[in-house]
Amino acid sequence: MATCEKRRSAPAPATGSGLVEPVRAGVGGREPESEAEFLLQAGVTSMVREALLKVLEARPEEPVSFLASYFEKLVLSGAAGDRHGQQQRLARALWYVRLAHHSHRTAFNNNVSMAYECLSARGRRKKPGVNGKIYSELLKKICQDGEVPEEVVSSLLRKIQCRDHEAVPFDVFRYGVLSCFVLLEFVAKADTLYDVLDDGSGVADKRVCQAVLGTLEDALGASDFSVPIRYLEAGSKLGPDCLALAMDKALLERKICSSMNREEFLTKATALFIAKVKPID
Amino acid sequence: MAPGPAPCTVRSPVVLQVGDVKTDLARPGVAIIDVVLPPAQPLDLQEIVFKNSYTAFLTVRVQRRRPCDVGREGARKWVTCLWNHCLMPSPHTETGSQDYFSLFRHQMLCDVDQVTAVRLILRQPSPVWLNFTLEELRLYPKDQQSLQTDFPTWLSHLAPQQQPENLHGGIPDPEKVSTEVQQLWVLTEMIHANQTAARIGRFDVDGCYDINLLSYT
Repeated sequence: MATCEKRRSAPAPATGSGLVEPVRAGVGGREPESEAEFLLQAGVTSMVREALLKVLEARPEEPVSFLASYFEKLVLSGAAGDRHGQQQRLARALWYVRLAHHSHRTAFNNNVSMAYECLSARGRRKKPGVNGKIYSELLKKICQDGEVPEEVVSSLLRKIQCRDHEAVPFDVFRYGVLSCFVLLEFVAKADTLYDVLDDGSGVADKRVCQAVLGTLEDALGASDFSVPIRYLEAGSKLGPDCLALAMDKALLERKICSSMNREEFLTKATALFIAKVKPID
Repeated sequence: MAPGPAPCTVRSPVVLQVGDVKTDLARPGVAIIDVVLPPAQPLDLQEIVFKNSYTAFLTVRVQRRRPCDVGREGARKWVTCLWNHCLMPSPHTETGSQDYFSLFRHQMLCDVDQVTAVRLILRQPSPVWLNFTLEELRLYPKDQQSLQTDFPTWLSHLAPQQQPENLHGGIPDPEKVSTEVQQLWVLTEMIHANQTAARIGRFDVDGCYDINLLSYT
């Protein structure tokens, strides 16, 4: 998570404060009262406040483009608001869950619950809840936007998908959505790792890849000690020294020098991750 | 990790002194503390823990129950299992005088199974201290492992134990690899830690509702 915290730690209301100022200034005076009233009536006040809240929650790296896409989405959903078709609701839920990175725990959880509500609402004020079909569809959509190999996605989905007719409790929903996002990030990181391993040549040595993945597996399968000790242990196993020794040892083995392509590496790495995902029962 | 100490009776220290206790001005240099264990349960000693109070050297002797001397109560011998163990490196100064100490099984000179009594012999050669003793004395049995016993080996060399110097060319930069692999580890741990207890409530075994398995009987 350390990487994610690097994003933007300082509050980022710089662009927002300019927007909200006129609203506040209008409240006091006599003449501008009509302006404030107008803003209230048109729903601009609450809309801008909502937008600012979203910015503060998500702390995006580029607030302007974030706001732009936010308002764009708002327009689109407003236009489609009357029909409330399933596809619209799905798109809206997808947009909610993508708003904040999963490391911003509160914001992410808020957005996931918004998405859940959005999916469970149906016309005529009924709230039948989220069924397995639409949940699975959402998960598939989330997984689509990374460059994740097909079989990786399907092996994750097999674990967290629900059957079409099942009612999905919120916790299961949240865990499923979170797993998908973390998988996307995992694949991206594993991809970077492959770039490091191949040293710019495009293909990495199979023995080295296997040594690295073996070390990772070892650290993940570490003993059931109390939590802080496990972290220390994993840290020591994944330190540069241990990894260097493991890779060196692997290279010394007298085996046929073959290579492992990117796909294969990603599949093997994500298998370690997926093994730790709790299947739905 | 809170193993209970073994039940035992710690007698008050007995000071050994040459001459008359009241009239002699010389301070005693040796004291004895006896620890008696309940006779029905001999102790497999793992660890002795105490807080020092101005004792410079410690000798530990134990009495053990041997299969051979069952029935000969008087014949039990005292064996020395720790000989002049230094608690205060220089007896005239304060160093170590009020420290906590742990003495472990592996420090003992002989094996300390089936112990029925322990005798601690305290020595303080320096006359500058008014009195000396051991406080908060506890004995820990073997089966209740103390913190030290399951001390994982990797923890003792967190710092690089052996600098990998003679690495052969061609391996990728370990620093970078390590950074990336650690991030993969963090993500996996996170999903593992975020597991939910919620269940869908499936109770069927996969495929048990297969139409071909249903019968009309």
